[in-house]
Amino acid sequence: LWDVTQARDKDRARDQERLDAALAQFAAAGFTRREPALLQPAGLFLDRLGEDFRGRLYLTGEGGGADLCLRPEYTIPISLDYLASPMAGQPADIAYGGPIFRAGSGESLQTGLESFGRDDRAAADAEILGVALDAAKAAGAPRFALRLGDASLVKAFLDRLDLAPAWRRRIDTGLARGAPLARVLEPSARQNGGSGAGVLAALEKVDATGARKLVEDLLSIAGISTVGGRSAGEIAERFLEQAALEDGAGVGADKRKLIEAFFAIEAAPDAASAALRGLGQEAGVELGAALDEFDTRSGFMAARGLALEDMTFSTRFPHAIDYYSGFMFEARPVSRRAEQGAALSGGRYDALLKTLGAVGEIPAVGAAIFVDRLGGAA
Amino acid sequence: MSGFPEGLSSSPGQRSTPGPLIVAAPSKGRLQENAFAFFARAGLELQQGRGARDYRGVIVGVEQAEAAFLSASEITARLARGEAHLGVTGEDLVREEIAEPATCVELLTPLGFGAANVVVAVPQAWIDVRTMADLADVAGSFRQRHGRGLRVATKYVNTTRRFFAQHAIGDYRIVESSGATEGAPAAGSADLIVDITTTGATLAANALKTLDDGVILRSQANLVASLKATWSDAAREAARLILSRIAAEEEARKTREIRTTLIEVSETMFREAQSRFDASLREVPDGGRFVFSVPAGRAPQFSDWLIAHGAKTVTSGRLDYVFRAENPLWNRLAARLAGG
Repeated sequence: LWDVTQARDKDRARDQERLDAALAQFAAAGFTRREPALLQPAGLFLDRLGEDFRGRLYLTGEGGGADLCLRPEYTIPISLDYLASPMAGQPADIAYGGPIFRAGSGESLQTGLESFGRDDRAAADAEILGVALDAAKAAGAPRFALRLGDASLVKAFLDRLDLAPAWRRRIDTGLARGAPLARVLEPSARQNGGSGAGVLAALEKVDATGARKLVEDLLSIAGISTVGGRSAGEIAERFLEQAALEDGAGVGADKRKLIEAFFAIEAAPDAASAALRGLGQEAGVELGAALDEFDTRSGFMAARGLALEDMTFSTRFPHAIDYYSGFMFEARPVSRRAEQGAALSGGRYDALLKTLGAVGEIPAVGAAIFVDRLGGAA
Repeated sequence: MSGFPEGLSSSPGQRSTPGPLIVAAPSKGRLQENAFAFFARAGLELQQGRGARDYRGVIVGVEQAEAAFLSASEITARLARGEAHLGVTGEDLVREEIAEPATCVELLTPLGFGAANVVVAVPQAWIDVRTMADLADVAGSFRQRHGRGLRVATKYVNTTRRFFAQHAIGDYRIVESSGATEGAPAAGSADLIVDITTTGATLAANALKTLDDGVILRSQANLVASLKATWSDAAREAARLILSRIAAEEEARKTREIRTTLIEVSETMFREAQSRFDASLREVPDGGRFVFSVPAGRAPQFSDWLIAHGAKTVTSGRLDYVFRAENPLWNRLAARLAGG
C-alpha cells in the first residue's frame, strides 16, 4: 500500500511541476493569472454545456441540494470573472491553472489561457494556439498530432446553400454532435407524420403570411397564446414549414453533392484552403470573408513558426460544445489513442460572453491543457 | 437530486454477521395491497409488527426471513445498497435511482400490477410536434429564439437524460419536480414534462399529449433481488424457499391440467401435442388415462383436438401450485450471485 501511495504522490508532484512550467510560460507571454472559486453554481455549466454534462458534475448544495458543483472547467468561470472586472469589454489576457473535477475522472489538473476583447481575431487565434503549444512543450509534452476546425467557415458555407430551415437545423445539430453525414442527409418521411398535408392543400391558395395568420387564429380561438414557452406564431410557423417539406424529399441532389464535397475536405491548412476555393469557384458558393480570415490566420501561424504541414484541418471537426464560433483545435501526443481524449484543446467563442451577461458580443479565444494527459501513452 | 452518488451504489452491504433474509415490501396504498395479495397467492403471509406504523415484520412460516415495510423509493435504495435481499418496487425507480442497475440488482419477475408508463409529454397546442425528431428540431433552435434552452420538468432526471441523449437532444435544462409535474407547463415553470402516467387522463386534463415515440419505459412492479447484499446461507435458503413458492404459484396460474382417456396413442400424436399446443405429459400414462399440462390460453383448443383424436371426455383443471425441483427464479438468482 505504501508503494501505491508513493507512486501516486510521485505522479502528483510530476503533474504539479508540469502545471508550474506551463504557468511560467503563460506569465512570460504576458498573461495574468486568475483563479476562480472551486465551488460554482451548477446551472451555469448545465445551461451552456447541455444537460448531458450533468453526469460529469460533482453536485452539492446547502442542506443536501444540488445547485452547486465543484469547478468542472475554467472557461466559463474565467469569463464571468472577466465580465465582473473593470477590464470588461477591454482586451485582457488571462491564464489559469489548478484542479478541475469531473465525475468519471475525479480530480485532475488543468491549465490554460483566455484572450478577451481583441478585434484582430486571426492574430489572436494564432497567438493562443502558439502560446498554448509552447506551454505544453515547456511542461514536457511529447510530439503532438494537431487537428483544426472552423465553425464560421462551415456556417458561411451552409448560409450560401440557402437550405430549407428544417434541413439547416438538422445539419447544424447533426454535425455538432459528430453524426455521420449520410445519416444527417438521409431523406426522411416528413417529421410531422403527414398530418399537415390536408391543411396545406387547403391553404395552397393563400400566401405564406395569410396561412400563418390563419393557423395563429385557430390556436387563439382555442384559447392558446403561449404554452410551454412557445408562442402561437412560432408554432404556426414551424407547422407550415413541416407541412411544406415534401415527404421523403432530401436536400436536393445538387446541394447534397456540394455538401458531401465540402465535408470531405480534410488536409493541411493551405491545401484545404485551395480545395475550398476550388469548390467555391466551381459551384458558385464563394466563402468570401470567412475563407480570407482562414488564410490570414494560417499566415500568422506560419509566422509564429508553427509547422502547418503537420496539422490537419477538417470541415467535419465536431463542435459538441456549441459556444465555439470560429477557429477550433485539439492536440494529442502522437503516441496516445484518439479515444483517450485531447491533451490540449480550445477555440474561439465570440458569442459566449453575451449569454453570460455582456452587453454585446466580445471576441474571445482560449485553450486548455489537460496536464495529466501530457504523458503520451497512458 | 440527481440520482445516486456512485459510492453508495457500489459498496456492498456492511452486514458482518450471517443475517436473515430481508424482504422489502411497500408500506402503504394500492401498491401494498397488491404486493400482499401477490405474496398471499404464493402462500406467503407478510405480517407487520405491532400496529401499522411498525416498519418491520415477519413472513409466516419462513424462518430466517424478515419483512421491512418501506416506500417504493426507499426499497429501491436499500436493494441498491445491499440492505435488503428481495424487494417489490417499480422498474421505473430501478432504472432511475440506481446508477448501474445491471451490477446492483436482478429483476426476477414482473408482478402484473403497478403498471404505468414513463412518457415525454408536450402541450397539445404544439400541433407541429408529434415525435422525438420534432422535439429535437424544436430544441435545436429554441435557444436562438428565446435565449434559453427548453425546460423539462421531471423527477426522472437520469431516465430523461439517457432518453434525450439517444434522440440527439442536448440543449435543454431539467427542472426537478417531485409533485404535480403535469402542471408545470401551464404554470410556466417548464416547457414540457417527463412523467409517469397510467391512463393518460391527467395529461389530457392538463392539455398535454404524449409524443408518438415518447414512451421511455413501460414499467410495472417487479420482484427485485439485490446483488450487493450479503447472502448468508440462511438468507439463500429462505430466498430459495420463497422463490420456489412464487414460481410454483406462477406456473400453476399460467397452466391448466388436462385429464382424459385415450384408447389409441402414437408418438406422432405426442409430438403434435407438443408442437401445436405446447402440451406436455405430466404423469406416466396409467391404463389409458393421461394427464397433460398446457398453457392456460390453449386449454380449450387442446381439449377439442383430444376429442378429435378419440377422447370421450376431457377435463381441464386449475392447480394451486406446481412445485419443481428445478426452480427457474432461484436458478437465475443463484447464477447471478455466483457471478454470472
